[in-house]
Amino acid sequence: MTTAPAALAPPEALPQNGIVNGKIGIACMIISEIAFFGTLISAYVFYIGRDINGPYPQEVLDVSIAPLKVLFNSIFLLISSVWIWLAIRSMRKGRMGAFIFWWALTVLCGAEFLVGTGFEWYDMIVNDGVWMGTNLFGSGFYTLVGFHAFHVTMGLFVLTLILILTLLGHVTPKNVEKVDLVSWYWHFVDGIWVVVFFVVYVFGNMPIS
Amino acid sequence: MSTTPPNEKSHGIELPQPTAGPMICAFGLTLMAAGIVTNWIVAVAGFATFVAGAINWFRNANPDSLEMLATPAEEKPTPIVPRPGSVDHLVGDATHRARLPMEIHRYRDGMIGGAIGGVVMAIFAVVWGLISHGSLWYAVNLLAGTLLSGVTDMSMEELRAFHAEGLVVGIIIQLVMSIAVGLLYGVILPIIPRGTLLFAAVIVPLIWSGLTWATISVINPALGAHIEWLAFIASQVAFGITTGWWIIRCGKISTMQNWHYLDRFGFETQGKGGGS
Amino acid sequence: MSVLQPPAGPDAAGPVPFLSRLHEWVTTVDHKKIGTMYIVCGIIYLIIAGLEATLMRWQLTWPGMDVLTPEEFNRLFTMHGTTMVFFVGMPILLGSANILIPLMIGARDLAFPRLNAFSFWLFFFGSLLLYFSYFGGQGLYGMGSAPDVGWFAYAPLTERTFSRGHSTDYWILGIFVAGIGSTATAANFIATILGMRCRGMTLMKMPLLVWIMLVDSVIILLALPPLAAAQILLLFDRLLGAHFFDAQAGGSALLWQNLFWFFGHPEVYILILPGFAFVTEIIPVFSRKVIFGYPLMVAATVAIGFISLGVWAHHMFVVGLSPMLNTIFMGSTMLVGVPTGIKMFNWVATMIGGRIRFDTPMLYATGFLCQFLLGGLTGIFLATVPFDWQVSDSYFVVGHFHFVLFGGLVFAILAAVFYWFPKVTGRMMNETLGKWQFWLLVIGFNITFGAMHVSGFLGMPRRVYTYHTDRGWDFWNLLTSLGVIVQILGFALFALNLVHSLFKGKKAGDDPWDAWTLEWSTTSPPPPHNFEEDPVVHSRRPLWDLKHPDDPDWKYE
Ligand code: HEM
Ligand SMILES: [Cu+2]
Repeated sequence: MTTAPAALAPPEALPQNGIVNGKIGIACMIISEIAFFGTLISAYVFYIGRDINGPYPQEVLDVSIAPLKVLFNSIFLLISSVWIWLAIRSMRKGRMGAFIFWWALTVLCGAEFLVGTGFEWYDMIVNDGVWMGTNLFGSGFYTLVGFHAFHVTMGLFVLTLILILTLLGHVTPKNVEKVDLVSWYWHFVDGIWVVVFFVVYVFGNMPIS
Repeated sequence: MSTTPPNEKSHGIELPQPTAGPMICAFGLTLMAAGIVTNWIVAVAGFATFVAGAINWFRNANPDSLEMLATPAEEKPTPIVPRPGSVDHLVGDATHRARLPMEIHRYRDGMIGGAIGGVVMAIFAVVWGLISHGSLWYAVNLLAGTLLSGVTDMSMEELRAFHAEGLVVGIIIQLVMSIAVGLLYGVILPIIPRGTLLFAAVIVPLIWSGLTWATISVINPALGAHIEWLAFIASQVAFGITTGWWIIRCGKISTMQNWHYLDRFGFETQGKGGGS
Repeated sequence: MSVLQPPAGPDAAGPVPFLSRLHEWVTTVDHKKIGTMYIVCGIIYLIIAGLEATLMRWQLTWPGMDVLTPEEFNRLFTMHGTTMVFFVGMPILLGSANILIPLMIGARDLAFPRLNAFSFWLFFFGSLLLYFSYFGGQGLYGMGSAPDVGWFAYAPLTERTFSRGHSTDYWILGIFVAGIGSTATAANFIATILGMRCRGMTLMKMPLLVWIMLVDSVIILLALPPLAAAQILLLFDRLLGAHFFDAQAGGSALLWQNLFWFFGHPEVYILILPGFAFVTEIIPVFSRKVIFGYPLMVAATVAIGFISLGVWAHHMFVVGLSPMLNTIFMGSTMLVGVPTGIKMFNWVATMIGGRIRFDTPMLYATGFLCQFLLGGLTGIFLATVPFDWQVSDSYFVVGHFHFVLFGGLVFAILAAVFYWFPKVTGRMMNETLGKWQFWLLVIGFNITFGAMHVSGFLGMPRRVYTYHTDRGWDFWNLLTSLGVIVQILGFALFALNLVHSLFKGKKAGDDPWDAWTLEWSTTSPPPPHNFEEDPVVHSRRPLWDLKHPDDPDWKYE
């Protein structure tokens, strides 16, 4: 054990390519986004049932908008996670045609969700007269759902950009790892919607007993 | 994993090229924020700036990051010269990563020493009370004032009288404090470089007296009102000398830091380098 | 290594014209340059915020002075606190980590160099936006005024009803913009540390500074976004008429306190952890001993990271939470003292038996140990609910956090500046000036902030712009203000030293302190690519192994 040249042999190399860094970076971004949404959601939950004047969620969310409609929109958003996963899988296998198909489908579903949100908001603002300043429910609803919609919009923008670049031939299967990172973000946006949906439309919407 | 040599061996060191994109983006974003508190036109300008910066940035990073070759530095790092034999070992040779102190007092000895010191100090205080105030209980009652609020209002007469709870509380305080301080002595003495007995007998009692002086009116107003500082310091010194003497007398044991794990766990095995 | 191609760029010969120098700095993505810009900006804001504090102390020197109006005073303490936390502490720490992390782990740059530049510029412009409020606080059309709601901007004072104009919006936006940058930098650090270490550097062979910055980045990632979210709620209250913190509509001012301190307490640990990191690197080198208890240091750092996320309500003991909650948060707060105490003991144990050299970095590190200890102890006092009820919102609290932030953090930063200045600039700082500065600061600091504890005990509330003469506070306030003069002298020496050493300092050489981590194996200043060859390490002290091949570290780790 006095001189141990074996122990001095260079240790295993650590992976040093940018893709791993990218993955860690995106993971960190998602963690910070979770902390961000976590705060908005806590605030929303904190204010459930504290309103001193209506309209209350039970009136607005139940009556004027069939819950089915929101559920319908949500399913579009959630299922797009599957499409984007299929898209990445196709790209991994080098099938760019399939990639474009699934990717475009993802964009369409995401867009449908946004349009649905638009109708819902229109309905609430115009027919029910609920806006930010109406009451706590309005403040919380538009902030939370609005920030989620904002994230969907950003995601859609990036997805569309990639779609265009692919159609122009700038994206090849060797970019798959970068494109994959975008899909992580999209999964996050979908996942957080499950929580938002549960909090706003189910938990916060319980009949007042 | 991969054993390919790092790529700079083959074609120089690549570094990302400078770009103003990120700065423009940041400026645009700030303008957008500023638009909220100034005028919407500022925000629009900010958005345009942001987009311009983002395009620049995107094209810098895609499809492959724009890189430039690094200039090989004119000045090379001075090679590091080995200096064999220049390591001073703290203790002996085999224990190069020794953690000080190598030898410590048993905690038990510290606590016993503290208890003995506490008894000596108590005797001292009681004798002093007997001589100066003609009462065995005077000092005890004053000490008990740390916990018993009634002591504060006692007259001189009452202080000289016997109080059962005063005795019990006084003994408990004296014992607990003495044992705790004794334990601290045991822990601290091994890391005092020199003059250990001086430290134990004089320096700590003085520090302790100073601390008492500063806080006594809050902690024990009764004692604060009646205390005679010279006698107090003398009793502390009596404690310090006794406890310090006892602990030093008991000797040290070595820590287990360079024992083999098996020995530390108390396994009886052969062939392992054992403890000292 | 063969030279393949000359670089594009200004000719190395001859002085580079100012504009192209500026262009080089503005477009740079080099972690060392960005780090330097962070630190320079941080020091400039340190001067600004220091002047703000001086003005406040001038006003408070004696009862009934009228140097400042009450409104000006409110703006000053708000800007002082906000600046010191967000635009002095954060940039200096992020900047130092920017410079040091890649050098210490043997990497060429951070994982995302452009993102790094983006973060810096967000901080830069964000801070300008906040200071622009002095001119545009009422919107472009009215008179300017800076925010005046305190650095924690408690609701409902920040609601539209009470805070007219846009000053509070500037507070929100400036910090929000800078906060995005800090969060991105945290992600950048994590990716760098996890993905770009040189060969042989396993996690448990990283220098402790890198470990601590890893934990620090995780806290940033978890604590800054909640602040951003809370600020957005506040912004919506103010601009869109939402009701989050509007008690009349059922909103809750208490929620703001919870959200703010959920960020605010971790933030103080975000600030102090890099301070720990500097000291942890400096003490072993100047004690000529290996750090005591490396694994325990790592564990303590991680523990601090976790616990610091669960103690925020100790800032809210006086709002009347339930006794149960108070007790829980009292317990968790005291718990932070345990890992922090472990670190203190490890630093001291590193020094014991060492051959200590009291060069300036070590001097400041020792100052840190003593003063931070005191601040930590008053922290434990404050964590005790009944005690806190007595002194909360008094100058005692101000004394506490200046002992940890100034006596602790600033001293650690000064230690770091003296220690790494040679690496970054290639020149040594002046030792004599440094020692004078040290003693001036120690004396001035303890006079100023020691006296604050007393005036706090005597009942002086914080954030008052003046006081009556019959309260017994006169003497202590006078003392506090006099201490400031001594400190100013100290900082003046520092400025002098910085400028003088930058141009006239002694050449440093690669390794002036005979240190052991990788940054000392390259030239000072390091070339843009840091290392000619990718370093390979075998232990936590790679340079020790090279210097003492007969007694290398890897045999013991
Ligand atoms: C042993 C560790 C510590 C404990 C137990 C502790 C405890 C406390 C408590 C209970 C308060 C609230 C006092 C009140 O407002 O009534 C407080 C305030 C504060 N502490 Fe600490 N602290 C510790 C360490 C630190 C450190 C390391 C820092 C920063 C580097 C720090 C910075 C602050 C600041 C800035 C405030 C005042 C915030 C404000 O009201 O403006 N503390 N601390
Ligand atoms: Cu705190």
